[in-house]
Amino acid sequence: MNDPTKPARPASHPAAEMYAREYKAGQLSRREFLVRSTALGLSAAAAYSLIGLKPAMAQRATPPMGGSLRIQQGVLALKDPRTYDWSEMGNVSRGLLEYLVEYNRDGSFSGILLEGWETNADVTQYTLRVRPGVTWNNGDAFTAEDVAANFRGWCDSTVEGNSMAARMGGLVDADTGQAREGGIVVVDDLTVQINLPAPDITLIPGIADYPSAIQHRDLIGTNPLDHNVGTGAYRFADYQVGISARLERTPDHAYWGNAYLDDVTFVDLGTDPAAWFAAAEAGEFDMTYQTVGEFVDLFSAVGWERSDATTGATLAVRFNQLNAPYDNVEVRRAILEAVDLNVVLELGINGQGTVGENHHVCPIHPEYAQLPPMTVDKAAAMARLQAAGHGDTELTLISLDDGLGRFTCDAVAAQMRDAGMTVTREVLPGSTFWNDWLSYPFSATEWNHRELGVQILNLAYRSGVAWNETAFSNAEFDSLLDQANGIQDADARREVMARLQQIMQEEAVTIVPYWRSLFRHYRPGVVNADMHPKFEINIHHLGLSA
Amino acid sequence: MAFFILRRIGVMALTALCLTFVVFFLTNLAPNLEKLAKTQGNARMSDAEVISWLDRNGYGGPLVMRYGEWLGVVPGWLREDPVTGEWRGRCLEDGQAPEDADRFCGLLQGDLGYSTVSADEVSNIIGGRLQLTGILMFWAFAVMVPSALFVGVLAGMREGSRLDRSLSTLSIASTATPEYVSGVILIVLLASSQIGLSPLLVEWGWLDSGTLFLGSARSAMDDVTFWNFTLPVMTIALYGMGYIARMTRASMAEVMTAQYIRTARLKGVSFRNIVLKHALRNALIAPFTVIMLQFPWLLTGVVIVETLFNYNGFGWTLVQAASNNDIELLLACSIVAVFVVLVTQLISDIGYVFLNPRIRIA
Repeated sequence: MNDPTKPARPASHPAAEMYAREYKAGQLSRREFLVRSTALGLSAAAAYSLIGLKPAMAQRATPPMGGSLRIQQGVLALKDPRTYDWSEMGNVSRGLLEYLVEYNRDGSFSGILLEGWETNADVTQYTLRVRPGVTWNNGDAFTAEDVAANFRGWCDSTVEGNSMAARMGGLVDADTGQAREGGIVVVDDLTVQINLPAPDITLIPGIADYPSAIQHRDLIGTNPLDHNVGTGAYRFADYQVGISARLERTPDHAYWGNAYLDDVTFVDLGTDPAAWFAAAEAGEFDMTYQTVGEFVDLFSAVGWERSDATTGATLAVRFNQLNAPYDNVEVRRAILEAVDLNVVLELGINGQGTVGENHHVCPIHPEYAQLPPMTVDKAAAMARLQAAGHGDTELTLISLDDGLGRFTCDAVAAQMRDAGMTVTREVLPGSTFWNDWLSYPFSATEWNHRELGVQILNLAYRSGVAWNETAFSNAEFDSLLDQANGIQDADARREVMARLQQIMQEEAVTIVPYWRSLFRHYRPGVVNADMHPKFEINIHHLGLSA
Repeated sequence: MAFFILRRIGVMALTALCLTFVVFFLTNLAPNLEKLAKTQGNARMSDAEVISWLDRNGYGGPLVMRYGEWLGVVPGWLREDPVTGEWRGRCLEDGQAPEDADRFCGLLQGDLGYSTVSADEVSNIIGGRLQLTGILMFWAFAVMVPSALFVGVLAGMREGSRLDRSLSTLSIASTATPEYVSGVILIVLLASSQIGLSPLLVEWGWLDSGTLFLGSARSAMDDVTFWNFTLPVMTIALYGMGYIARMTRASMAEVMTAQYIRTARLKGVSFRNIVLKHALRNALIAPFTVIMLQFPWLLTGVVIVETLFNYNGFGWTLVQAASNNDIELLLACSIVAVFVVLVTQLISDIGYVFLNPRIRIA
């Protein structure tokens, strides 16, 4: 286990010291300071020492050894971790396949398979220090070669559905689709150096994300279920898709850290929260993956502990600009102007979150820039739509038939109707929604939390990238984003961000109605089961109090 | 008789063939295959990637040929992957050399295929699930049949009596309430700690805490208990019970007006003895076929109840296979369903011949 109270290396990084000064001057919140300085390679303890505080973060309790825990969560078929497309996949394999870096609930990063990392001043070179004394459960030593092999695997953009390639950014050679020559250097057994052609501050958040599970150097691209080889304390004992997955402590494996439970079962109870609740009352599991909507209160009412996390997760009600009439910026602006986001927050998710600003940077992101408030003017919105020649056009808003998507889109549609627009709602079940979801003209997409504001902009709004569903393409935006990616000083970056956010509002790219709070419930006595902003569950941390 | 059974088996094979082809056709429609590729590959795959994925995984050929492969009358596909250079094929086991693989591997060879969602052989999945459903069906029958007969006989003893009217009303009500309604009502009434009976009982001190019954039958997959199995069993049993009870009542009422009963009455035999010794045996012939007919009917009930109570048996598997477009698992489920329907019909036809000598089968 990664011990936050361990004396840190004499930390320093010029930028971190600068952040510390900013924090002391009141320009940075503690969370922002932590995100930035730990992303530069400082341990959280070192970061805290810079601002003269004792680490109060990641205070995980130490539960007694032993016990079995059951977690309600979807059990999906596993595959090559690079192609994971659901957080659940990472959660279920995290007991076997660990990560280099972990993102903590408080916004800091800490090393798991890395002991630490440093960057040079302009963030083009990362030096990763591999944790010594880690072995694979097949007896092999975990070395820098494993780390380098995984980086090479992540950079392989020829693998269908490998989302890690996008997170590696400039490390991927655009011509070969493989890692850039000289980009990944094994310095010695415990050191790997990553050389980037351009500054990139998102590398560490990128390798803390769920598709970056570390596989054995010879097993890259395989399904962990096929071999059960990993550095973690657990291994799969049973795996039935859609039913349950059981992990047990691997016998004869000297795990490098602490793991408390003897075995953990993930119980798949489908997607209906009412069924979860019935099963909770029947005593069939001990903690939820996520509790939503009215069930937040219901689970609390039956005596379960509630844990919540504020996040940058949202539901973007987005246009696809390749489709008429949404190719017309005036139409998009009119719709944005007609929708009162406070109402959408209240009706869409029962007010369980904070109101958004129609750009995809959340106030908890370090580089968030405060913009003047958006105006809602229904009369002006309708006039704008009429001026654009679409006053009578029927606008169809498509959503998935689940609580979040349906209620939020219903609220958006109602706001638009209030302004006098003609809106048709189309609610599709999961079985048909997902086929064409990327190309629907006007629809809603759920986005998870990302650690830095630039990350989501890179992923979703840069011209032509795979996850760009809005078909937004703007040269100024792209070049400013490139610029922002290289600015590690969040204040300097904020100036660029302000313009980026402004462009999103001016171009009316998407409706970002709110920032969601996430909830989880667990039975009293479950330890370290708090909700994580990225839905992560690390079964190594979990335990049961005596 | 032998010819009759042979002909029935022939009909069964033909029905299975038609049904599986329909299922195969529907699951292989282009949007369904696209969905399959996106769930198996990556949800954000581009159209070109989808086509490449389908081609590489053997979904590219013409539909009839692939149906033939599944049946085992057309050799399974086998080709070298253009991207990785690996050999891939329908009949290729993991790590097997292409020349060692079987040429045919389909239903006729006893190979039910591969479940894409579960990433496992269909035969490995179906067996355990059928067993679970078997247990549920057994208990549903054990509750449904005796109680339905009892209610039917009670109601039919004195046609038109107050007892008859109230029992008949109950029977009609239970038959008219489908499983997805009665199941939810039962859960709300008996298995919630917030509403229904359980909080009342806790308040009165009759119940320590929690609920009277469990609203989820998941734990019954390991260990069937009164608490976790009552609600799913009752949900299925209630629906079928009314129907059997009504049939039994009609049959009983008819027998009770027969000449020999009147004679027995005139002779002064007690009502109790008339019912138990004279009427009952004759009255139970008619419900037999009805009871056999319940088997295929139960299959649909099981689909609903297993999904509602999270009991991962055959019905639940069928729903999952359909909603995930898990082609070969769904085909295997259809074969099992055809088999159950036709075998129970066969049994009821044969049984009827033995019960009713007026019917003869050449």
